[in-house]
Amino acid sequence: MAGIFRRNGAGDAPARYSAPQLARKGLTGEEWPRVWRDHEIKPAYDVIIIGGGVHGLATAYYLATNHGITNVAVLDKGYLGGGGSGRNTAIVRSNYLTPEGVAFYDRSLSLYNSMAADLNINVMFSERGHLTLAHTDSALRTMHWRAEVNKLQGIDSSVIDPDEVKKLAPSLDVSTHPRYPILGALYHPPGGIIRHDAVVWGYARGADHRGVHLHQKTEVLDILVEGGDGPGGKGAGGKVTGVRTNKGDISAPIVVNCTAGWGSLISNMAGVKLPINTHPLEAAVTEPVKVFLPTVVVSGSLHVYVSQTDRGELVFGASVDPLATYSMRGSLSFTEELAGHILELMPGISKMRLLRQWAGLCDMTPDYSPIMGFTPVEGHLTDVGWGTYGFKAGPVSGEQMAECIATNTTPKLIAPFALERFSTGQLVGEKGAAAVGH
Amino acid sequence: MLLVPCPHCGPRNQSDLRLVGATVPRPDPNATTPEEWGDYLYLRDNPADWIEETWYCRAGCRRYFTLTRHQGTNEFRNPPMPGDKVGTATYTTISVGSSGSQPGANIEPHTTGGAS
Ligand SMILES: Cc1cc2nc3c(=O)[nH]c(=O)nc-3n(C[C@H](O)[C@H](O)[C@H](O)COP(=O)(O)OP(=O)(O)OC[C@H]3O[C@@H](n4cnc5c(N)ncnc54)[C@H](O)[C@@H]3O)c2cc1C
Ligand SMILES: [Zn+2]
Repeated sequence: MAGIFRRNGAGDAPARYSAPQLARKGLTGEEWPRVWRDHEIKPAYDVIIIGGGVHGLATAYYLATNHGITNVAVLDKGYLGGGGSGRNTAIVRSNYLTPEGVAFYDRSLSLYNSMAADLNINVMFSERGHLTLAHTDSALRTMHWRAEVNKLQGIDSSVIDPDEVKKLAPSLDVSTHPRYPILGALYHPPGGIIRHDAVVWGYARGADHRGVHLHQKTEVLDILVEGGDGPGGKGAGGKVTGVRTNKGDISAPIVVNCTAGWGSLISNMAGVKLPINTHPLEAAVTEPVKVFLPTVVVSGSLHVYVSQTDRGELVFGASVDPLATYSMRGSLSFTEELAGHILELMPGISKMRLLRQWAGLCDMTPDYSPIMGFTPVEGHLTDVGWGTYGFKAGPVSGEQMAECIATNTTPKLIAPFALERFSTGQLVGEKGAAAVGH
Repeated sequence: MLLVPCPHCGPRNQSDLRLVGATVPRPDPNATTPEEWGDYLYLRDNPADWIEETWYCRAGCRRYFTLTRHQGTNEFRNPPMPGDKVGTATYTTISVGSSGSQPGANIEPHTTGGAS
């Protein structure tokens, strides 16, 4: 297949971000150049990627960078990073539960480690350590299980006792008084947080200057498929010919679904049904205070997690709302439960005030693992099922999806996440490490 | 939080109930292929549109029933009210028998009024 791809005209290389540039622009007040450019939509591309979040943009970036495939368009119905990629709590880690998951997320972490240099943008990666608290014997058992799976694959991950927890995060109440006392924690030093917007912009800028077209406010209304078994020639056995958008039809032999929470709607357009339910996930942020929380803290039993940004705000998250819906409205019950649960862990922050709360959509799969690669419709690929944990997977997903498209074969790292697993029964049960931890 | 129209208790806080999920017909396990069974277990339309779904009123009447909700706006269509007469109600109650060896084997959907 490699022969069918053409090169798009690459633009001028963007001005490099550097300390001398920063000093010059700071002193002269000179404008920074636009991070990416707008283009006319061409009638045809080699690859169309639906969804301008970290997954779609990273896929485009690696298609151009690793495989020289640049006649590519990324379409987003809103703005780049307007989905989960701009709404998440930016936790990255690789201490998952299944060997497949660990290998996959670990590759992503190593791409994050070199990202600032690779993309020439400050992504503010803060490798501050990640604590998953255990409040029950069974939770502690799962932590030991995860630690052993992790160690076997060379991941820095171990179970620590409440005294060590207290040393790492002194604001936590490790006494036996709370209803759910802290019995120990899984400690993962390489985990941390990153500036999610910079990651999105970095991939967009890199893809743009290699010739990829980024089309915002371009909504895909239908996927054009011929020769399938289903109604309108869609479904299994069919072949993708392009997409219909609010700005007209665009042809392409390959159409990739990178729309996360909206993933079912997009693949349904090609006649491919996915094992996904869409649930909102809410998050909230407090006013900034002096930095006191050095690590990321997650509590599965209390459905809450927290980290402190460099600016001093506490960022909170929880588990998904129980209602399956495409509505992104926040709810009071989230705020109430969040406050109750976080005070159980950190009684000292009771006077802090919340600044904002928001929600994003999460594409939940039955086994808390993604759905990546080919589908029964030729030319329609998916990179969805990212639930509450997909931000950290952006780089590796982009890299592997690009290889999948360029070579027309499924790379080993993502083979376990194929759609077929739901008919063969080979699920990749990641719930124990992904339900609240993100 | 939504107010969910339980056909037996009336509107209740969503936290009193559990959303079981989209209502999908269960094929005969003895006569299906593994693919059909996988489809039944996992594949969902997940539309941003009207959907038939099963709810469980766990803190109230502890019954299972079907409601029609819009997954984009969260509006309920024709919400049933307690006391609706048999035949006029647009919802289904699923009664779960207490005996039987096969889990789920004696779940038989039937339409009924609020009094059952
Ligand atoms: C509150 C919250 C906290 C989270 N915390 C974490 C975390 O700490 N760590 C972590 O790893 N993950 C986290 N996640 C999950 C993570 O944000 C997502 O899994 C990830 O961002 C998905 O990225 P994406 O690029 O696949 O999709 P998105 O960023 O959601 O992008 C999808 C894009 O598709 C576009 N689109 C949809 N329909 C159409 C259409 N018809 N036509 C054109 N475009 C369309 C949308 O506009 C959107 O921009 C969190 C999510 C939320 C909501
Ligand atoms: Zn009830």
